[in-house]
Amino acid sequence: MKTFFNTIGNLFRKPVTTKYPFEPTFKPDDYRGLIGFEESLCIWCRRCEAVCPPGAIVFSQDMEGKQTYHFNRAVCIYCGECVRACPREGALFQTAEPAPCALKAENINNGWNKLFDEAIESRERYAAEKKKKAAEKAAADKAAAEAKKTMEGDEGMNPGNN
Amino acid sequence: MKKIETNLADLKKDIGAFYKPELHHFIVMNAVQTGEKMELQWFFSDYAFPCETTCFYALISPGEEVPSIKDIVASAWVAEAELVDLMNIKVESTAKGFVLEPDFESGPLLKKK
Amino acid sequence: MGRQYEIPVGAQHISLLEPLHFKFTTENERIVRTDANVYYVHRGIEQACCSKFKFRQVSFVVGRVCGLCSISHTTAYSQVAEKLLKIEIPKRAKYLRMLVIELDRIHSHLLCLSHVAENSGFEALFMKTMQYREFSMELLEAVCGNRIQYDFSIVGGVARDLKPETGQLILQRLKNFMPQLEELVGIYQHNWTLSLKNKGTGVLTREDAMRLNVVGPFARAAGLAVDVRNETEDLLPWKEVGFEMITDTAGDVHARNMIRLREIGVSIRLIRNIIDGLPESALLTETKAFPDGEATVRLEAPRGELFYYAKGNKTQVLERLKIKAPTFSNVAGMVHAFTGNEYGSAAAIIASYDPCLSCTAR
Repeated sequence: MKTFFNTIGNLFRKPVTTKYPFEPTFKPDDYRGLIGFEESLCIWCRRCEAVCPPGAIVFSQDMEGKQTYHFNRAVCIYCGECVRACPREGALFQTAEPAPCALKAENINNGWNKLFDEAIESRERYAAEKKKKAAEKAAADKAAAEAKKTMEGDEGMNPGNN
Repeated sequence: MKKIETNLADLKKDIGAFYKPELHHFIVMNAVQTGEKMELQWFFSDYAFPCETTCFYALISPGEEVPSIKDIVASAWVAEAELVDLMNIKVESTAKGFVLEPDFESGPLLKKK
Repeated sequence: MGRQYEIPVGAQHISLLEPLHFKFTTENERIVRTDANVYYVHRGIEQACCSKFKFRQVSFVVGRVCGLCSISHTTAYSQVAEKLLKIEIPKRAKYLRMLVIELDRIHSHLLCLSHVAENSGFEALFMKTMQYREFSMELLEAVCGNRIQYDFSIVGGVARDLKPETGQLILQRLKNFMPQLEELVGIYQHNWTLSLKNKGTGVLTREDAMRLNVVGPFARAAGLAVDVRNETEDLLPWKEVGFEMITDTAGDVHARNMIRLREIGVSIRLIRNIIDGLPESALLTETKAFPDGEATVRLEAPRGELFYYAKGNKTQVLERLKIKAPTFSNVAGMVHAFTGNEYGSAAAIIASYDPCLSCTAR
């Protein structure tokens, strides 16, 4: 009998489900959403890239040494490990904004893999260039020093020729 | 964790003397690669408080056949079948193909050289 | 003797949630023999944890072993890594870990109960249980910031603090849930339709549970008092927050349902005690050390004992990580408990095991 009245009562009860896209659902204020980046505060230590478990952050570098931050919201797992690792307060922060869907046009998987490899390569190229320059500079310094030395030596060797 | 060394010849005797179904339960078998040899481990745990984990271990060479403890611990066949497929170890009366398909690359958890 | 038929169930089957394959040999509708194949989703997570990821990142990787007991895996890994690093975590972090594990247990047990109802042919109860389960998902979202992958435990402590207002929200929601839980207990206990499929089916005796080393609610329903929360005290202080062992004697599907419902009651009490007695301390223990030596950890996940073995070699990458999921221990018992039951009850029995195959295969 109780079941019968329950059934009748259920006909007039409000549904439990919500009309989601039109009505908001439960969302806490500190929801783990998109990772934000403040370029002016970044000290370019690349610690976030090193700790990121899925590899959703990568820094590329151009030949002048300027670094650019890349973030992939589809690879990110929103764990906040980068924010905890960041030594500069406010450079990286987690917002409560859920990530938008990835679109086909963005080519978010293959495009990202390519970008990731290119970014690593660009850093290696810069490092190699820097090393080469440093080596050239060192060689030039050494040559200059040697030249100076020989000159001095020459001077020392033949003092009376002038 | 209490570690007890044993070898393949004495394994059944040692575990048979230790294992009492009402006092301990068998957890799992594990294999760790240590250089050329492989360290096989059998984990047991007490039911009581405070509980201690006991580990029997034996070093085996590649290709050596390991005796099965199925007649002492009835549920050990699952762990043995898993090691046969994932770590490419030979276990007495255990066929390949429980964990992975028979044509799968054998020993996927082994360290790549 | 009648003719024997072999009936395959799975790997794709309407009553199975996970890729699990059973081959039943039946005789006059009775199951006389069962073969199981539980590995369809081997993902090589252990290999990835020992080669690709650094040890601090592994706690996020192992969270992906299982969607339902994500927090148990991350916590067990964090504990084993802390043992390798030889650090002690702050007390508040321990309490927060216990809080999330218990919230997770509520949602996992309710999910299992709803599937038992569904596989027993009681769709309305399935919907009702899922409706009541929603509060636990929202609480987990409020505590961890995400509904499913919590990423809450990290090596050295926990990632987020519990705000006082979130604590109040949890207590409030639990208060609202109490009458709903009583309603569910009433239905699962006394409903006649459900009892036809649940009482006396899938019986596992205490001797068999002991012989086959069964763990979790499956073993406790058979009268085997095995619960890691009762056996360890060093890593998480379960007894301090009032843990109580729950066992039953019948060992059938109905007993498993009742064990799960009563454990939800215990979890609610634990959560209340944790929030009331939450100690004030830091959340993280920082260290610059590298993992060295070997260690094991056992933890009670919703489905039973979870076991982690790790070996470090003083580098960023672990030498070996072994994960033993609860369902892995139960495979032998699962196969055994079908014998003698009608084939028609098999779906309900499978659901009552609460199998988690992606944990088992990793």
